[in-house]
Amino acid sequence: MAEGFDIDHLAKLARLSLTAEEKALYSSQLNQILGHFQALAEADLPATIDDARVVNEAALRSDEPGPVLGADAVTRIAPASRDGQISVPRVVDDES
Amino acid sequence: MSTPPSDWEVVIGLEVHVQLHTRAKVFASSPWGFGKEPNEQVDPVVLGLPGTLPVVNREAVEKSILFGLVVGASVPEHCSWDRKNYFYPDNPKNYQLTQKDFPVVVGGQVEIELPGASRNVMGEHKFIRIHHAHLEEDVGKLSHAGSGSLVDYNRAGVPLLEIVTEPDLRSSAEAEAFLRSLVAMLTQAGVADCDMEKGQLRCDCNVSIRRRGAEKLGTRTETKNLNSISSVRDTVIYETARQIRELEAGRSITQETRGWNAELARGYVLRDKEDAHDYRYFPDPDIPTLKISRETVARLAKLAPENLYDRQRRYVDKLGLPYTAASVLVHDRALAEWFELAVAAHPANPSGIANLVANDLLRDLAASAGAAGADNESAPAPILLASCPIKPAQLAGLVKLTDEGVISKQQAKEVFTEMFKSGQDAAAIVDAKGLRQNSDTGELEKIVQEVIADPAVAKSIAEYRAGNEKAINALKGPIMKRTQGKANPVLIDQLLRKFLG
Repeated sequence: MAEGFDIDHLAKLARLSLTAEEKALYSSQLNQILGHFQALAEADLPATIDDARVVNEAALRSDEPGPVLGADAVTRIAPASRDGQISVPRVVDDES
Repeated sequence: MSTPPSDWEVVIGLEVHVQLHTRAKVFASSPWGFGKEPNEQVDPVVLGLPGTLPVVNREAVEKSILFGLVVGASVPEHCSWDRKNYFYPDNPKNYQLTQKDFPVVVGGQVEIELPGASRNVMGEHKFIRIHHAHLEEDVGKLSHAGSGSLVDYNRAGVPLLEIVTEPDLRSSAEAEAFLRSLVAMLTQAGVADCDMEKGQLRCDCNVSIRRRGAEKLGTRTETKNLNSISSVRDTVIYETARQIRELEAGRSITQETRGWNAELARGYVLRDKEDAHDYRYFPDPDIPTLKISRETVARLAKLAPENLYDRQRRYVDKLGLPYTAASVLVHDRALAEWFELAVAAHPANPSGIANLVANDLLRDLAASAGAAGADNESAPAPILLASCPIKPAQLAGLVKLTDEGVISKQQAKEVFTEMFKSGQDAAAIVDAKGLRQNSDTGELEKIVQEVIADPAVAKSIAEYRAGNEKAINALKGPIMKRTQGKANPVLIDQLLRKFLG
């Protein structure tokens, strides 16, 4: 079947840098996966919601605040931090 | 020659992000609140650490449903959550949990009121349709320092209801009226606090223009992250003028994402995050589809307060309130309910009660809040009313004394001031101050007859007898003067009519 995706675009979105061999391999695997879904989409199934994936309100969490990690623990697992905040390369939305 | 602006019609749609009033976050138990030290309100679920699973907060779901009921939307049997994938440091999991295909609220409408020709004239009413509202998680906050950016995840995971309108708004005034109406609905139902200074309500504003009468919508721009009603209004004005200028110069409008600089009062093009719109949504495998029982919907429907404009119509049509007083009362549920308690205690004169509440009571409440040194002069009425020294039934008692002619309207103001200071009943203050008006008919009859006999008022008497009803009022002043204002005005009126025949 024809590829319904652009492997370079997908790799870029996922921040992956792939070799030519990997691109070929993953394109083929992804095509297989999409083929399975295509088969499912073509199957004549009743348009109902999958009960197995439905929960009722008993499965909701009550609005009770629980423990927090604390800024020390949060910043400790980040590659870099400053003044209790996680430090990242500059990202800007400002007027420029 | 350029086309006058009135030849263009502006079309506006809003996406309003509202932080819901909950204690814990939407998919995690971490608490949240404004003004905490950075990253102190974060738990492993918020960060999406390995081994954690999100579980939806019941209160966030119920507040969302309540919003739906308040705007007359339908609450679908099922709703579900999706992952919106993107890489950006405000987002600890690299995806945001949101609702794409099955949101919790579908449809509904918000009634708005436009400003009238003057403050005592009601403006036009209009209904703005809601497309849907979905329950998602807020993202972290970035601040920029030197060569880097800093991330605080306290805000990440805060329950956020995104309310999406149809493109039904046609002016900056309508956008402003819509937001005021929406804020009143959300706060009155207890769904959200909408404190814009704390970032609890943020808007994305879609604007396009077209020739008046044209069917087809023009190319729209989206100005993101507006954090005040005035910014939305200013953005609409700015963006409308800019688009008209572009089109009239023969250029075209580019569909783009824009930002707004409130200090400089101007918009700007946001540097497009590459592929920002390719979010590769898919159903979140961690959160099952939720079935919402009709019992829950029925239970929540009982919590929905009366719509503010229904209340306003009831006050004007049924209680006979002037629009000015009604419009002040209905924007604040606590104040309106306080007023209604007073009316229940003295149903004969709702307007008299409304005037005291909307003018004297609000003024003194604001002044005492200011005098207390608190920075809450503009605090909402629930806070102010909690410390109000006058109870609704006491205010009703004051109006009743005035209506019965025991004290004059002028004296009522004086008694009100005293009540606000001491919390005493009106009757006690009236007695203590000896304010009871003279209702001794014999003495008053004598004074009335003396005044009528005075040649100075002969002209007024002649006019009254000739059919000018109002001329009688000219006689009341001298009578009041001679009784030092203590005469019962109702009795004076009766006596005058009796003697003038």
